Formats: sequence, C-alpha cells, structure tokens
Amino acid sequence: MTTNGRVKVTINGQTVEAEPGRLLIDVAEEMGIFIPRFCYHPGMKSVAVCRMCLVAVEGMPKLAPACATPVAADMEVNTVDEQAVDAQKGMLEFLLINHPLDCPICDRGGECPLQDQTYAHGPGSSRYVEPKRTYEKALEISDLVVLDRERCVLCWRCVRFSDEIAGDQFIQLVDRGPGTQILTFNDEPFDSYFSGNTIQICPVGALTSKPYRFVSRPWDLVSAPSICAYCSVGCPLTNDVRGGQLVRTQALPNENVNDFWTCDKGRFGYHYVSSEDRLTTPLIRNRKQEFEPVSWGEAVGAATGPLSAGRRVGVIAGGHLTTEDAYGVARLAKKTIGTPHVDSRLQDAGAPYELALEVSDAAGSTATITDLESARTIVWVGPDPKETLPVLYLRLRQAWGDHDTKLIVISARRISLDGFATHVVRCDPGGEALALQGLMDGSELPAASDVGDPLVVCWGPSSPGRDETGIFGAVIELVKAKGAKLLMCPPHAGSQGLIDMGVHPTLDAGYKPARAPGLDTRGILQSAADGELDTLLLVGADPIADFPDSELATRALAGGVFVVAVEILPTESLAYADVVLPSAAYAEREGTFTNLERRLQKLQPVLPPPGSAIEPWKICARLAAAMGDNWGLPDFDDVWTAINADVPSHSGLQADHLRNQPVTPAPYYESGFEGETSSRTIVAGPGGQYPHGHRGGSPFQTGQNWPLSWELRAFEAKQRPGLIPSVPARNGNGAPHVRGSSPPSTAARAPGRFALYSGRLIYDEGAMVSRTTALRGIQKKPFVEMHPDDVKELELSDGDSVVVESDGGAAELRIIVSDIARGAIFVPYDQEGLRANRLIRGASPTVALRKP
Amino acid sequence: MPEEARDRLGGTAEENRDRLGGTAEENRDRLGGTAEETRIVKRRIHEYPDDSWTIERAVDDGAYKGAKKAITTMQPDEVIDLVKASGLRGRGGAGFPTGVKWSFAPKDVFPKFIVVNHDEGEPGTFKDRELGENDPHQLIEGITIAAWAVQASRAFIYCRGEFALGSRRLDRAISDAYERGFLGEGVFGSDFELEIILHRGAGAYICGEESALLDSLEGFRGQPRLRPPFPAVKGLYGQPTIVNNTETLGNLPDIILKGADWFRQWGTEKSPGTKVLSVSGHVNRPANYEVPMGTSLADVLELAGGMREGHTLKAIIPGGASAPLLTSTDIAMDFESLKEAGSMLGSGAVVFMDETTCMVRNALVTTEFFEHESCGKCTPCREGTWWGVKVLERIEEGDGRREDMDLLLDICDGIDGRAFCPLGDAAAWALRSNVKLFREEFEEHVSLGRCPFEDEAKVLVGAHQGGGSGDAGVMPQPAAGAPSDANTQP
Repeated sequence: MTTNGRVKVTINGQTVEAEPGRLLIDVAEEMGIFIPRFCYHPGMKSVAVCRMCLVAVEGMPKLAPACATPVAADMEVNTVDEQAVDAQKGMLEFLLINHPLDCPICDRGGECPLQDQTYAHGPGSSRYVEPKRTYEKALEISDLVVLDRERCVLCWRCVRFSDEIAGDQFIQLVDRGPGTQILTFNDEPFDSYFSGNTIQICPVGALTSKPYRFVSRPWDLVSAPSICAYCSVGCPLTNDVRGGQLVRTQALPNENVNDFWTCDKGRFGYHYVSSEDRLTTPLIRNRKQEFEPVSWGEAVGAATGPLSAGRRVGVIAGGHLTTEDAYGVARLAKKTIGTPHVDSRLQDAGAPYELALEVSDAAGSTATITDLESARTIVWVGPDPKETLPVLYLRLRQAWGDHDTKLIVISARRISLDGFATHVVRCDPGGEALALQGLMDGSELPAASDVGDPLVVCWGPSSPGRDETGIFGAVIELVKAKGAKLLMCPPHAGSQGLIDMGVHPTLDAGYKPARAPGLDTRGILQSAADGELDTLLLVGADPIADFPDSELATRALAGGVFVVAVEILPTESLAYADVVLPSAAYAEREGTFTNLERRLQKLQPVLPPPGSAIEPWKICARLAAAMGDNWGLPDFDDVWTAINADVPSHSGLQADHLRNQPVTPAPYYESGFEGETSSRTIVAGPGGQYPHGHRGGSPFQTGQNWPLSWELRAFEAKQRPGLIPSVPARNGNGAPHVRGSSPPSTAARAPGRFALYSGRLIYDEGAMVSRTTALRGIQKKPFVEMHPDDVKELELSDGDSVVVESDGGAAELRIIVSDIARGAIFVPYDQEGLRANRLIRGASPTVALRKP
Repeated sequence: MPEEARDRLGGTAEENRDRLGGTAEENRDRLGGTAEETRIVKRRIHEYPDDSWTIERAVDDGAYKGAKKAITTMQPDEVIDLVKASGLRGRGGAGFPTGVKWSFAPKDVFPKFIVVNHDEGEPGTFKDRELGENDPHQLIEGITIAAWAVQASRAFIYCRGEFALGSRRLDRAISDAYERGFLGEGVFGSDFELEIILHRGAGAYICGEESALLDSLEGFRGQPRLRPPFPAVKGLYGQPTIVNNTETLGNLPDIILKGADWFRQWGTEKSPGTKVLSVSGHVNRPANYEVPMGTSLADVLELAGGMREGHTLKAIIPGGASAPLLTSTDIAMDFESLKEAGSMLGSGAVVFMDETTCMVRNALVTTEFFEHESCGKCTPCREGTWWGVKVLERIEEGDGRREDMDLLLDICDGIDGRAFCPLGDAAAWALRSNVKLFREEFEEHVSLGRCPFEDEAKVLVGAHQGGGSGDAGVMPQPAAGAPSDANTQP
C-alpha cells in the first residue's frame, strides 16, 4: 500500500499504482495491456463466464479471470504466461467448435471481436471434425433486431444489458448446457427502446441490425464521430457512410453523458439524412404559386426585402439547430434585422427557462448528468424521460440501481420512473407546484426526511403548451431552499444552445436580459395571424406540426405574411413558405450541440450536404450580408471567434477545444493487432474536409479506412470538450417569488372538462424519425390514458373508443386505463392519425369527452 | 400414527416393510447388517427399520435431545466451538470443516439463513435419500442445532425433485415437529424462533452446487454465482447463508450430546467420524454402508458382499462420478488418503466395476452426464463436455482416430481449472482418468474399428436416458442369483 491509498500492482513486469478493488482487466488496459475478453463489458457487472480473460496471478492456484479479480497490494500478474496463453488458445478453440465460419456473409465480419481475438490469440486451425450446433436461422426478434443463435458465444452481454441497464428483460437465456441459447420469452418481440445496444455490444454477429443487415462490409464504411441530433442528452455517435448514404449509427461511449448507450431512436433514426426528399436547392414561390428551384443569390435576394421590415419580422427557430446556428439566428434577428421577436420554443412553448437564472448565472442546469449518481435524492418533475430523453432515463435508473439514490417523482400521470421511484406524488392536474411546496415543508411526503443532500431537482416541460411558470418557479424555490442542484431538461438537441445564444424573446446571448423584450412563439404566431407582422423567418421550425396550437400556427402562416423557411426536409409549414433555403443535416457539417447539462459536443461531417444545402448559420450570414451587414465569418473557427467576442458566457471556449483532433487510432486493442493496418485514419480529415467515399465517390474505399470494433471507437470519446462552467447565484436572490398562475386543481375545472396532458412518445410522426420505416412500423397507435373512475363515469371500459373534443377539433381514441390523476387525460403528441396540437388551445388546455 | 398420515407417508408399516422387501431382520441384513458398520447417522434407521421416520419413534429414541441441549444450555459460540473441536467436515463432497464454515457468517447481520443441500445428484450417491426418507427428524434436529449456532431464524431444505417419498416424509416430519414445539416460535420454551421451508428442486444436477442452489431457491436459473462473496457472507437473498449437506447435519445431535472426543474416536485425525458410503456397481450387496473414515476400500468391498461371482475387479469410482478412477482397493477411505491417491472421497459414492465394463462406454456415459447437466454458463464446461461426448461417441462406434486420445486429454486440460465451477472440473477429472488408466482399451477401439466388449456390457450405457438428473447412469443392477448372505470375493 502506498501513502495515497493506492496499491502497487505488477503486470507483465510493469509496475503501476492503482486504486485497490479496481478490476485487473481495467488496470491492465490502462497500462496498454489488452487482456482478451468476450463477456466483460465496462458498463456492466462482471460475470466471468466466457473465461477468455484468464491470467496467471502469483500465489493463486488456478488462473484467475481478470474481469472479476480486484487488484490488491503487491499483486503480480502475468497475462502472457505460458498457461494463460494456453488457456486463451483453448478457450477460443472451444468457442469456435460451434461457431459457424460464415464471416464472409456476417455483418460483424471485419469488426468482430471474436474474429479479431482469434487472429491475435487463437489457434490457427480446429481439431473439431464433427457437425456443428445449428438453430433455425435468422430469427427476427423485433423490427430492428435479428438473431442468429448459432453464432452466439453466450457471453450474456445482451441479457445483462436488458436486466441491469434497460430494466426490461425481453431477451433471456433459455435451455441449458450446450443447448443454452438466447431468445425472447415466449416469442414475444424484443420490444425495448434500447434494443440496439445489444447489437453493438454483441461480440459476434448473433444480434444484428435489421435496417443495416447486409448493407455494407465494415471496411467499405467511412466513419466520423458525431452527436445525436434528437434529444437534449446528446449521446456521442459514430456515423457510418457507404456509397454516399448514411447507413448506420452507433453509440460512442462517454461516461459523463451516455455511458456506453444510446436509444433506438438515436441509433436507427438516421434515414432522414439520406432521404430522397431532402431539400437540395433554394426554392421560391413563383406566380403560379409553385416552388421553383433558383440560385442562392436569387433566393437570398427574394428574402432580403421582406426581412428588412425590422420589428415587423418574427423569427422562430427549431430545436435541432446547433449552437453556431443559434448564434447566427440571434445575430441576424436582433442585430441585422433589428427585431426582438425571436423564440425557439415550439412544443415547449411556455417553458420559462429564464427562471433558472435565479439559481445560477446561466439559464440552464447547475447539475451534470453524473451528479445524478452522486446524489442522495433526485426529484423529478417533468415528462416521461423514457419517451423523451431515453438515455437520461437509463442514467436515472443507474443512479437508483448502482448508487442507491432515492427518487421522488411528481407527476399527474404514471411515467416510467414510477417503477423504481422511492416516492411517487400523483398530483392533481396542474398541481405539481403545490406538491413541490409540500415537499419543501414536509406536508406532502411523510418520509420527506429522505430529501437529503446532495439533492438534484430535475425539471422539464411536462406537457406541450402548458404554462409551466408555477411549476418551474416551485422547482427553483426548492432548489434554493435546499441548496440543491438543478438539472433543467429542455427537449431537443439544440434547445439549450438556442437559449444560450439568445434565440429568446427576453434574453440576449449569454443570458443578458433583452433591453426590449420581444414576443414569444405564441405572440409571434398570434401577431402574424392578426396581420401585425409582415415576415416570418422559420429556421428549422415547423410550427404547424410542433407548436401546441396547430390552428393558430396555420392561421399565422396562411395569412398575409411573407415566409422565409430554412429546412432540411419538406414539412407542413413549408407549404406556406415563399422562400425555401436548404440546410445541411447534422452528419454533413461541423457544429456543436449544447446538451441539457450545457456540455458542448462537436459534430464532424461524414457526408457533403445534398445539392447546395449549407449550414443554417451560414445561411443567416448570407442573409445578413445581403442586407448589408457582412459578418465576415467564412468557417467554423471564425464563428467561434465571433461567439467568444459576443457571448460572455462562452468567451473562454475556443474552437480548438471543441474540434475533435483527427483521431490517431490507438493500438488495435480489441485484437492486440499491431502493425500497418492499425494506423489508418478512421475519421473525417481535419478542417471539415470530406473524406473519400462520399456521395458520388467510389463506393469502395478500402484503402482509406480500417473498420474497428466499437470498443476502439471509444477512444475518441475521451477527447470531448468539457462543460461550460456555471456559477451558482449567491444564496437566495431574495424573498421567494410568486410566479404566474397555474390553475392548481380540479376545483378550477369546469364540470365535464378534462385537463389535457400530452407529450411526445419516442417514435412519432416527427419529420426526422418518421423517415425511418422500421421505427414508423413500431410507432404506437394513438390512444388516450384515463383514470379508471373517469372511464367508469362515462360508462366505458379499457380498450373502448372515446371522442376527445376541444375547441380545436375532435379525435376518436382508444382508452387505456392508467394511473393518471382524476380529471386529467393524456394523449400522445404526434402519432399517425393524431396531432394532439390540433386539440390543444391555450396554456391550460382542457377537453370534453363523450361516447362515440 | 393416525391412519391418514400413514396413507400420506405411503403405506402402513407392513406395506413399508414390503417395500423394503422383507421383515425387519431381513432388511437389517439387506441394508448391510454386518458387525463392521459403525453407525452414527444411520443408527436409528438400522434399529427401527419399520418406523424410524415417525416422530413417535424418533422422540422415543431420543431425537431432539441434542437440539434441546444446545438451545437451552449452550451459547451459540459454544456450539460452534464444539463442532470445530469435533473436526466434523462437510459430507457433500468438498469436505470443508463445518464449524469453520459457520464461523464465517458475520455475527451482526440479520437475517441469516440455513440451507440444507438435500439435492443429492452426484451419480452413484444415494445416502441423503435414505437419510431424508427414513430419519427426517435427525435432519430437522441437525438444522435446529446449526440454526442456533449461527442464529438463523429460517432454514430451507432444498430437496431433490425426484425424492417423492423423501419430500413427503420431510414435509410430514416438519409439521410434526412444529406441532410438538420443536420448530416455530419459542423452540423448547426459549426465545429462539426457527421456521423450516421445504423446497423441491426441478431436476438439475448443477443445483447441488451451493451457489446455483441458492439462485434456484430464489427463483432464478440454477447457475453458480461468482465468488467472492461466499454464501456465508452473502448468500440467499444477499444475506449470510450456511449451506450444509444432509449427512453433515445428521452428525450434529450426537456430537452435541456426546461431545467432540466421542466423535473423534472414529476416523482419522483430519477426517474424524464416520462416512456413509453408497456402494454400487458389480457387487453382491449394493447399499449404503456407514463406516469409520479411513476404512480400507477392501473392507468396504467385503461389506458389500464382494464382486459378483466369477468376475474380477477392474476399476473403482471412489467418490461419485466426479472422482478420478482407482484400480486398487488398497486405500483408506478418507479425504486425505484419496486426495493423495489423485482422487477424492467426494460424496462417498463407491462404484465397483468388473472386467465386463467397457471403459470407453464408462467415459462416454459419465461425460454425457456432465454435458447434459452443464448449466451452459461458462465456455469450457459447455463446449468441452459437448466436444468430449462427440469424440467418445466416435471412438465407441469405431470411428476413432489415433490422435483422439491426446485430443481428449487436451480437452480435459482445457476445462480443468478454467471452468466457472467444479462441475466442469469434475467432468475433466473423470474423463482424464478413464483415458489415462485405460488408454490401451481406447486404442484397441481405434485399431479394431469397433468396441471389443460384448453387448451385455452395455448395461451401463444409455441408462441415463431414462430421464432425471441421472444417478441411474451408474446405479447398481442387482446381480442376478448372487447369494444374499455370501461375503465371498470372486
């Protein structure tokens, strides 16, 4: 034992100091000694079943599994000892006797841990001459995952993932002995939101991706690291391109963000990028009211006049823009055009993010995702994270499972967290704020003493369009009173960056209060509908589909306003555009997303944008230039120089920090391969130059890239930039504020009216995700969740149809009896056949229900 | 005994006598009634073959006196110290000192559990079956003593699923014991509370491995757990758990009543006491024989009536199918001596095989058993046993190759010491000893291109296919016409 509590361990003659209790396999790997393995996965508990990592430990009678052996003082280990090497060879020979050598047609071939390790550690040939074990081939265990049992080496990674991480045991071991196999139970589908992770961690080709099956050989792929463009968790991904098509995305590990995982929406929802209906050229509406392709100069020229209307211009930005785009939009709107009417909140309209400034110097989180794991208590007030922020759900589950964190959930309806929450407060519709106050004074929970340090309070807008001022205000009071940390969860990948850069009616860039507050999204749409605005600029925004009052949005666009739209795909709102400017998608560009903990993570291009599409911030710069305001920002570095200068909160960040260094591949650890092949470039070159193999290039670029098992791609994740530091406000900021009004309970409700709650489900009709056929296929059919007593009162029962009626429209929906507050109903936001935003009116939407 | 209870236990005294095949006197003989046996755990069964399992008989015979003495007059630590002093070692196979195991359970963590490993599955072993069927109260008394020693308030008997009669009798015995105040709240008028739950397994050999047993008891797939933590520290439901074998617990009442020195008068310094040996194979009187530890294997063979007439001894499995073979009876039956001889005492199943036995078939049957019973968790056991069976089948069917013998030994080396739990190791030990000791016989199969043995010798082959977890594979076939009283050697 050394003085710092660490122990000396000698591995293959090299001595290092390590924390006692750490696993030998990890300590060795940090020293650059790769111990072969199949079942071990750093994100899950060791099971030591594959026996591949056996090593010789001085003083132990038998070889020890390195994945289950904690290091201890003065331990001497030999991983290349004659016995250990013999065991490795023997284990591979055992594993291969029943493994089909169908590598030439297996998706895993070329990036397969079994293949790699056989090359590095296995015997050259097999002595097994008998027939191999066979099973029925290619079981489609879901619309996303295909299972070939004969390839399985029974490492249990998928089963453990389902049990330990996702908490949904859809996949299991059945039978025993040599007949042991992986299967779903009772032929039920592998119906998990996280099933794709099992494909990625499978060390062979037993679990493969249905959308990617037989699409490419790994060495034909061109890859670049990126960040998921869907939700605000911001999982690092790699994008894989073949023949100019984005054909696969996989999770990149980052222990601070996603650990090793991503959700199936992030993993499989990439088809929109290479979708055939991508916008490729600027369009203007001609006299026949048809779109006509035009040059950029023409299109920008057509937009310049209408955009020069100053305060009579409204600007709405969508949640999937990068931080740089957000800077461009804010600068264009507030400086060049000179309008304060700019907002980015669509489905989260009414979310008072600016209140977070009461607890820190930023309108954002003071907590990080990893703070969840060191917390003693977590309070959750917000949407169902499993549907909207799936990987955050995994991290919350991990905090509960591995760190024994207590979880208090405040919600008007049952959400996924209820399953493991310590306390669930089922509040009245709109009663979240009261419940939070009760939590503070101890009246709500008898066991409120459990609310202990460190406390993290999570809040996100729980239902589109609802005025959350009262709820978030109560959250802020709780944070202040308990000295807690705040995890603010806006919905989309770009949401936080948009707030930071001042795409907000009351905040300028860097959270400075705007001198002249403008209209928010609702105000902009209302004014446009009322003829008080002349021009609307939509940047990646589709108010008709996303804003929680579809009718208002339609009136706004269909009225007399001139609409300039920047988009990647045709949307409903685009039908009302006068000028359309095509933009680049996330895989085609540089940029950064700022996630919900205000971590900036960088995108790398792996494809050129289609046609003449460019990044939205460049479009903003072009529009500005055409209006006589030349920003002079030709590339990514320049825009960051400008951000550093203009946005005080971001002044310390340099483009260099944000840019991933071109990755020099680390030693080929998965196999122990060394030599020429390991030094090939695996990511897009520096400076955003597109690698070979892009659209139009040769589909075969074997010389350019070397495929890698996912573990190796992990090395990139460690290069990611850090968080923007946030400074907590000096304690208190004065007396508690009473904010807004949120009609607290059923008392305020007119008889026969129900409070309408809504929220996105993971797979819906969103413009991006719905382009993936497989995900559309597993989209849930529209439904309405109701309290059993409310259902009974209507003389209906579970599964019956009911008509949900509001001022905006009506929908006939199937009833799911659920644990939801009486007087409240929940309908999903955007399923096929149901646009909940056609029902939502105002900030406290209510509906009537009747029998069909 | 009330009529209905008698029915439930499977018959009247007379019927049971019939089941055992004779009068008390005759049964005594048949169950190995020679003077050489030394009975501690089998004493009651031997003396009262008609009703040893009833609570009336057991209590009349002094059952529960040991438990009462321990609970009412001894501190838990005194009990542990006494058992340590007696040198009692586990009778399930590993031979770990019982008192030492008990002392590993943390003193201040509650609840603690006692789990009885009554899942006797080792091929050739049938001692716990007899003890459970015919003297359940001795087991319950033993559990009570162990529970008092480690301060466990709940005990589970994990009973092999195939023990139909045994589980009925245990069930009855447990409720009788509750009725008399030997179990439940306030055992023997003390503050001590003990509940016993009988659980029947579902026919997996691996569930006799203690940590797999615990997983199975919790309702999971029966598969061994990663150690550490050991069950004594973190066992059933994550709580300290002592897992003891039925025969081990059966020794406790007498140790409490008569002391460590009394117990140590039998056996050796390191392996004191007696051992019940389940003797089977080509002997005249296959049965359970309780003998002092260290008794010579030759004496054991003599107890069992010697080899069947006209045949000679070829090989011996001294401690269940897992134990490497011996070829000579010149060895003392205790943990140390057998270990020195490269084998093991294991669960005490002794199988004698005569010259009609094909050792390739023996290896095949044994390896098939382990393949069938492998849980599938770890690579070497799952794939190694599969491969071994394939190669042995080829050799037996005449398709062997000269390099197969070395291949079999390599397969054994690939499993031994590298498997997750002892099941895999055991498969390797058994197979390796067959190949090493009878290599010429394997080679003869290869060079002849067929099995040189008569079909009748196939009596040992395929028997396991009858189902269950397979101790039938090497179960004795009663020798036809063998004199029941003869003590002669062939």
